[in-house]
Amino acid sequence: MAAKKLGSRLETEIERCRSEGQWDRIPDLAKQLSAKPIANDDLAELLLGEAKLQQYLKENPIKLGASPHGTKPRLVEVRKHLVAALDRGNLKPEYMQEANLLLAKLNYIEGEYRDALSIYSRVALDDLQLVGIPVYRLSMIAEAYATKGLCLEKVSSLSPANSRHKDEEQEIITCYEKSGDIALLYLQEVEKVKIALSTGMQNRSPKSGPASQEQELGFFLETGLQRAHVIYFKNGNLTRGIGRFREILRAVETRTTQNLRMTIARQLAEILLRGMCEQSYWNPLEDPPHHSPLDDPLRQTSNTKDYALSRRPKVYSGENIFCPQENTEEALLLLLISESMANRDAVLSRIPEHNNDRIISLQSASIVYDLLTIALGRRGQYEMLSECLERAMKFVFEEFHLWYQFALSLMAAGKSARAVRVLKECIRLKPDDPTIPLLAVKLCIGTLHWLEEGERFAKLVIDMGEKASEFRAKGYLAIGLVYSLRATDASLRGVQEEYQRKALGAFQRAQSLSPTDHLAAFYLALQLAVSRQIPEALGYVRQALQLQGDDVHSLHLLALLLSAQKHYHDALNIIEMALGEYPENFILLFTKVKLESICRGPDEALLTCKHMLQIWKSCYNLTNPSDSGRGSSLLDRTVADRRQLNTMTLPDFSDPETGSVHATSIAASRVEQALSEVASSLQSSAPKQGPLHPWMTLAQIWLHAAEVYIGIGKPSEATACTQEAANLFPMSHNVLFMKGQIAELRGNVDEAKRWYEEALSISPTHVKTMQRLGLILHQLGRYSLAEKILRDAVQVNSTAHDVWNCLGEVLQAQGNDDAATECFLTALELEATSPILPFTVIPRTL
Amino acid sequence: MIAMEQGIVEEWLSEFKALPETSIASYAASLKDKSSLVPALYKVIRETQNELLEPVCHQLFEFYRSGDVRLQRFTLQFLPEFIWCYLSVAVNRDLHSSGCIEALLLGIYNLEIVDKDGQSKVLSFSIPSLSKPSMYHEPSTFGSLALTEGALAKHGLTRVVYSGPHPQRETFTAQNRFEVLTVLLLCYNASLSYLSSMSLQSLCRVSSRISICGFPRQNLRRFRGLTNRMPVSSEFLVQLITGIYYALYNGESELACKALDDVLYRAQLELYPEPLLVGNAIKSSLPEGALKSNKEGARCIQVEITPTSSRISRNAVTSMSIRGHRWKRHDALDLTSPEELMEISEVDEGFCSRAPSVASPPVIVISNSSSNVKTPGKSQRRLGGGKASKERESSTESCKDHLSRKQAPRAMSENLELLSIKRLTLTTSQSLPKAGSLSLARTATAVFSKSFEQVSNVFGVNNQSSSANSIATDANRYSACSLQEEKLAYGADRVEHLSPNHQQKQRSPSISIQLSSD
Repeated sequence: MAAKKLGSRLETEIERCRSEGQWDRIPDLAKQLSAKPIANDDLAELLLGEAKLQQYLKENPIKLGASPHGTKPRLVEVRKHLVAALDRGNLKPEYMQEANLLLAKLNYIEGEYRDALSIYSRVALDDLQLVGIPVYRLSMIAEAYATKGLCLEKVSSLSPANSRHKDEEQEIITCYEKSGDIALLYLQEVEKVKIALSTGMQNRSPKSGPASQEQELGFFLETGLQRAHVIYFKNGNLTRGIGRFREILRAVETRTTQNLRMTIARQLAEILLRGMCEQSYWNPLEDPPHHSPLDDPLRQTSNTKDYALSRRPKVYSGENIFCPQENTEEALLLLLISESMANRDAVLSRIPEHNNDRIISLQSASIVYDLLTIALGRRGQYEMLSECLERAMKFVFEEFHLWYQFALSLMAAGKSARAVRVLKECIRLKPDDPTIPLLAVKLCIGTLHWLEEGERFAKLVIDMGEKASEFRAKGYLAIGLVYSLRATDASLRGVQEEYQRKALGAFQRAQSLSPTDHLAAFYLALQLAVSRQIPEALGYVRQALQLQGDDVHSLHLLALLLSAQKHYHDALNIIEMALGEYPENFILLFTKVKLESICRGPDEALLTCKHMLQIWKSCYNLTNPSDSGRGSSLLDRTVADRRQLNTMTLPDFSDPETGSVHATSIAASRVEQALSEVASSLQSSAPKQGPLHPWMTLAQIWLHAAEVYIGIGKPSEATACTQEAANLFPMSHNVLFMKGQIAELRGNVDEAKRWYEEALSISPTHVKTMQRLGLILHQLGRYSLAEKILRDAVQVNSTAHDVWNCLGEVLQAQGNDDAATECFLTALELEATSPILPFTVIPRTL
Repeated sequence: MIAMEQGIVEEWLSEFKALPETSIASYAASLKDKSSLVPALYKVIRETQNELLEPVCHQLFEFYRSGDVRLQRFTLQFLPEFIWCYLSVAVNRDLHSSGCIEALLLGIYNLEIVDKDGQSKVLSFSIPSLSKPSMYHEPSTFGSLALTEGALAKHGLTRVVYSGPHPQRETFTAQNRFEVLTVLLLCYNASLSYLSSMSLQSLCRVSSRISICGFPRQNLRRFRGLTNRMPVSSEFLVQLITGIYYALYNGESELACKALDDVLYRAQLELYPEPLLVGNAIKSSLPEGALKSNKEGARCIQVEITPTSSRISRNAVTSMSIRGHRWKRHDALDLTSPEELMEISEVDEGFCSRAPSVASPPVIVISNSSSNVKTPGKSQRRLGGGKASKERESSTESCKDHLSRKQAPRAMSENLELLSIKRLTLTTSQSLPKAGSLSLARTATAVFSKSFEQVSNVFGVNNQSSSANSIATDANRYSACSLQEEKLAYGADRVEHLSPNHQQKQRSPSISIQLSSD
């Protein structure tokens, strides 16, 4: 009884060592086995032979394609053991099979492929049991199939090339596929045993102990797992290769297969992205197409699997598991899986000993991130991409590529402020690339309005000199824009003029460096227009139009320049022509309203306002969830964002009067913005400014309509329109200004004054309001206050001729005739070059 | 043009016209045997003055309209060439000479943007999430996912639109030009696998030309002809790159590399981040050795056997291995036993780690009740962190709780959005609201009040005052916006009262983490 128990314990121990590959313990155990009352020498021989063979392989690993090891003394010894085990024929049948399989493996190692094959046909591999056998035997069978495949390949490669028969090829692949399946099953079983063991042991820290020791696969199992798909891809049979990849990946992960899965997941993602398109995709649960363009047409084979096993590895299953329906979806899923693994294994330590490890882990992560970028980029998911890349940041210290990609993804996701900071780091890492500072300038002069910072970045490009080649002109353009915007911001006339001069110089430089760039010519024209050099500006805008005939801003500028020369009809014609190309461009339409009220009377202008409302509706109606059954509103939101970006060209905080961005008008807009802040922050994934666009546009349309009504003396209609705008932005200074104008029209001077004062408290530099308020104060006889306000207004915008005119009147009323005359003259002079809307309504962006 | 090619094209033209409806399928199948036809057609397209161009365009459109997918692909293969022809004419403002090409492009576009029933087509896809089990993974094996707000928001699948709905277009304008061309390229890219190598070559050449035309690099490439720059849009460039990427790995590596370089060059000059991102990624993931351009059309997609064991030595510090360390450093004073350390890291790992997994050591907590003598304060903290390892039930429960709370504000924001959009369209059209909008407002309030209960139970009201101010002003906007309609004003009014809770909820995940770590 005791002996039997001892025996079974010994057998269990042997089994465990064999399945865990602890070959060094086998000789001892074999000795115990021989010492047992019922001696089992044959089995001991078998164990010794196996242990020695495995030890040999551990010390002399086989490489694919290397020449066979031939006969080595250690292998001779192995053979002796195995032959001895088989000799007497006393072994149980399953041990007999084991001994034979080992012998075949030995034959393969020694290069005796035909001998090995004959053993395999004798053993009848396909008849071997897979159910109810010890774990280690699964591995033996898996290895046997792999070895058989290897032998078949060798044998057929000995025969003349190209004559390899299709069936023969398929037989080889099937061997590997079976081997791989059984190997996966084996690994899952081993893991199951280990978990059972480790949970049996109390309080064992999971890090220590044999349980966490990684199983090594060895040459044969690795070949079995991977050779099948390698052959498929070599033969150009993508369909089957993809199928094989999916089978391996669907099998439940084990510790040992983690690295393999990571590699295969990445490779499959590569194939899905590089070799497939939406139409040639089939999902993992579908049968593959019979004829696929993915396969080499010369080597058509059946695309379905043609073997069965009595036991298969466990696969992920469940009721609600996600199954991709599209190649990008599947690629993304695979990449997210690889990313989490790559991210987890990323080496953080920077000590020199780990340098190699760090580089390897960085490279493998970097490939995954690149593929993620490709997959998410083609679907426009930059927000998600920036989040993914952010996860990589912890191990990419000093690695330019991923930093740069991170910056670009932030930029594409509309996270401008962070993007600029990351770009700064990129500049530090790669100081001689002119694109990076230019990208930063683009962001700085855009929504951020960080002009000082923008200037620094632009100077970096200019300082590169000749090295920046094509980008040099762009650098001058960038700094010109920064100066131009700073000129608009400046509240002192001297400073303003200084910046205008600098901007002009920069644009001239850009234009001479890159004469085929329409932007350089255009901005030069715009700058000249702002400083009221109308004929020169006209020359350059024509040049810009020659380079790029349908550029919307050039056409707009041309119209404004014509209006400055008082050729209103020509200007209107140009605007109409431009609208033919850009029918939904609101800035053009606003100018059109102004021109129409002069040329064709208020009715036409009002019609245009109505038309604008219709356009606004049709633009955003498409995105309206009017049929809310169609999908989640996230869906609508994305559409809305995309459309906004496409169709809206309005500057962010644009102001219907002074148009483009001004420092204080930004402050004013902040007030407006604060009111709608949460509305946009609710849509956390949308860029902050994005959702504001449509509402601002709508408010502006109403205000324009109100203005037309005021022009024809209809206060009640004007009030209604203003109210519509007020519903959207009750605190907008433009709304308040308009209310003041209506009050004036109604003769309520006090009320008007109150509105104007409110408008100024929100936007202290709103010139139009200042002018009206000055006028009212003048009417009320409060000359010195009127003079003060008007002087301030002139400081803000020295080209506003009506302000000069008012100032003249106030000065005249005060009896200061000389100064008044000067003001009137200035007003007259400015009026001669004054466009219908300030030139600065045209957005200035890079 | 040589007479023979002219003849081939003419024959093709007349053959299809004479074809009875029933034999279209067999005709489509036989098309690929006409090897000399495609090059002849390319010749016709490239000569904009060719008299055959118009009938060819017409017939290609007939092909597309036939609905037979093979015929459609036959037409699609010429798309890059047509785009080039159209753009080069458009740049020169020579609008009339490309009438038939324009008509063909717009015709394909108008067919592509609607589905079979004539409804606007919306292309969408699901963004997979690791927190939802898939056929390739089990969330529990990724126990180390950080519990960030973003991760919570993305729990489950999100469906995202990447193209559409697009309006029908009757003419090209400068404004819609690239919108239309981008949609067309999207169609082209969706059938890349079925297109001939000639088409891929043409795509690469055309991409190069569009990108460098009028720039200094044009001289480098010795490409003459146009000197004006072609305007491009960033989405358009991204689509070009997508096609080039395919060409790169499917037999046209040389041309594709050049094209990729050129598009990237242009993207740099235009300062477009999107094509730069994708293009840089493609460049940096190119295999070390140059791709072999295989004349037999064999693909460069190759895989090798890779060692399965980790190439990284065990003792190197990795993201995973320092998980525990981070906590040790911050909370060294607070900790009494390594076990507690693990528990806290458990909180960090989030609710995804509920399954006992050997795979990620620091996550495992083997709870041992005998050693759990703790001060009340500590045990409370454990409660706050959700004792995931002990009671799986409760952890899933709290996970659901998290989710429902997370989803509530989203649903609410969507409703709000809906509400306000509806409002505005109503204002513009000056019509009365439909009954539906009222119920929307009610849904919003219902969601609000529900979530309010949840949050107030957990976190009390200490944060409320701080956020209330800003929210109140915001709600003011909504209410002002809806003043005209009493019923809607009612809904918005509710919004005003309840919105502070929303703010609170958004913060809740971070609060819970603070609770567990201090």
